[in-house]
Amino acid sequence: MATQTESESSGGGVLMRDRLVKRVGEVAAGGFVLAIGGLLAWILSTQVDYSLLASPLIARRFAEAFFLVIQIVVISSLLSVSLGVLVGLGRISTSNVTGRIAKGYVEFFRGTPLLFQLFVIYFGVPRLWATGEFPFTDWAIPAAIIGLTLNHGAYVGEAIRGGIDAVPNGQMEAARSLGMSRVMALRQVVLPQAWRNALAAIGNDQIILVKDTSLLTVIAVPEIMSVFRNINSNQLDPWTPLVWVCVLYLAITMSMSQLVNGLERRSDWGSDSRMFGRLSGLGSGDDDGGEEA
Amino acid sequence: MTGPLVEFDGVDKSFGDTQVLYDVDVDVDEGEVVVVIGPSGSGKSTLLRCANRLEEIQGGDIRLDGRSVIETDVNEIRQQIGMVFQSFNLFPHKTALENVALAPEKVKGEPEGEAKRAASDLLDRVGLADQAESHPGALSGGQQQRVAIARALAMEPRVMLFDEVTSALDPELVGEVLDVIEGLAADGMTMVLVTHEMGFAREVGDRIVLMADGRVVERTETRSFFDEPSTDRGQQFLSRLL
Repeated sequence: MATQTESESSGGGVLMRDRLVKRVGEVAAGGFVLAIGGLLAWILSTQVDYSLLASPLIARRFAEAFFLVIQIVVISSLLSVSLGVLVGLGRISTSNVTGRIAKGYVEFFRGTPLLFQLFVIYFGVPRLWATGEFPFTDWAIPAAIIGLTLNHGAYVGEAIRGGIDAVPNGQMEAARSLGMSRVMALRQVVLPQAWRNALAAIGNDQIILVKDTSLLTVIAVPEIMSVFRNINSNQLDPWTPLVWVCVLYLAITMSMSQLVNGLERRSDWGSDSRMFGRLSGLGSGDDDGGEEA
Repeated sequence: MTGPLVEFDGVDKSFGDTQVLYDVDVDVDEGEVVVVIGPSGSGKSTLLRCANRLEEIQGGDIRLDGRSVIETDVNEIRQQIGMVFQSFNLFPHKTALENVALAPEKVKGEPEGEAKRAASDLLDRVGLADQAESHPGALSGGQQQRVAIARALAMEPRVMLFDEVTSALDPELVGEVLDVIEGLAADGMTMVLVTHEMGFAREVGDRIVLMADGRVVERTETRSFFDEPSTDRGQQFLSRLL
């Protein structure tokens, strides 16, 4: 109501500007699609060798890399989210020691590059044993999983902490005033809400984890990028394997965002969504009004 | 039992350097309804929050049935003191029924079926039997506050504390919540209410405690307070309201 009166009283000026901005946006977006689409069509028709693209040899090598990446992603994902919950709880701990350790952990693993961490684990750690006594013969994949888990555990931990902070204080007070201990109140009342608050941020991070597996090519994991580099240097043809690379990564990341969307819908218990529904309804209502006026 | 059920005995409370309660004495007998009124910032809500140790006190003592609240295990004492908040604080991820049954299940260890049955009876008592499966987000403010009352009752407390429970409600929803509280008073529940609803205070309160600037300035029978307050402060407070 208030917004309507406001825009009416300020005349057509605001509405005109809104429509103008909307038109400019549409033109920019349309132009962008045309330019990229054209470039892509040109590359796909002139640069890609379709007989090489469909050759069983290449398909098999990419498929092997693809399934390896999926295994690494699933394991690192589960481990990093579990670790992240612990880190998030550590961050809100009433114990100073736990809180500081969790903070230091996050600072270190967010503050140094993943590539550095992978080098430390892959090249550095085996050197701590005498020559020939390091127990792993193939250290690349375990090192990859450890590196991804430790790195993304820090990001998930921060997401969980943010999710906990966003739960109103009154929730803890209400639970405690019913006689629940702090731990019980966290488990029964605060964490389920924190989890929902953090889901979008965690999903975001896990999609980045998928793309971070491309770094594993430098520690000799035979993943998707390694296959690309190999084919490119043998065939001197970058574009054909790049098509494979693109499709495979998108296949993982897009199913992952579907999964996150599903989880978000499942943990939507109808309070905030109603509010957001009203708010966005108001916004689009005004917008439509502008169109028709 | 001889002494009062709840005894605030010379309670001092400070937030940092700011003292908000000075030597507060209030007694609440079993089955009695004590209404705490006073201007904003006079320490009414803080007094309630001290009783179940959401705030720690710096001086004096608070006793429940003669036992010091301060020296008893905090989770045990809270099971005997029900609290209802201004902002409801229902658990949004649980249904109305689950909100009420959660603490009896987890804290008292009641079997799930039993806790749910008792919860369902309590929802019926606050007139919300038909909303048992609704999440708080789908309920009106008045309905949410009634669920919150049922949730506190589920622990079978000896005393109920109400902290401005109608202040966040639309005017047309205040009545249904006050009706529930009146019903509790009629059933003999011991209650301490902080409220700005003077009409209601007059109706349901056995005794009035008027607070100002962290001190109790008047403590008297409800009827005599509203008819002729004995202190200047009380007269002043009433004249501004009426």
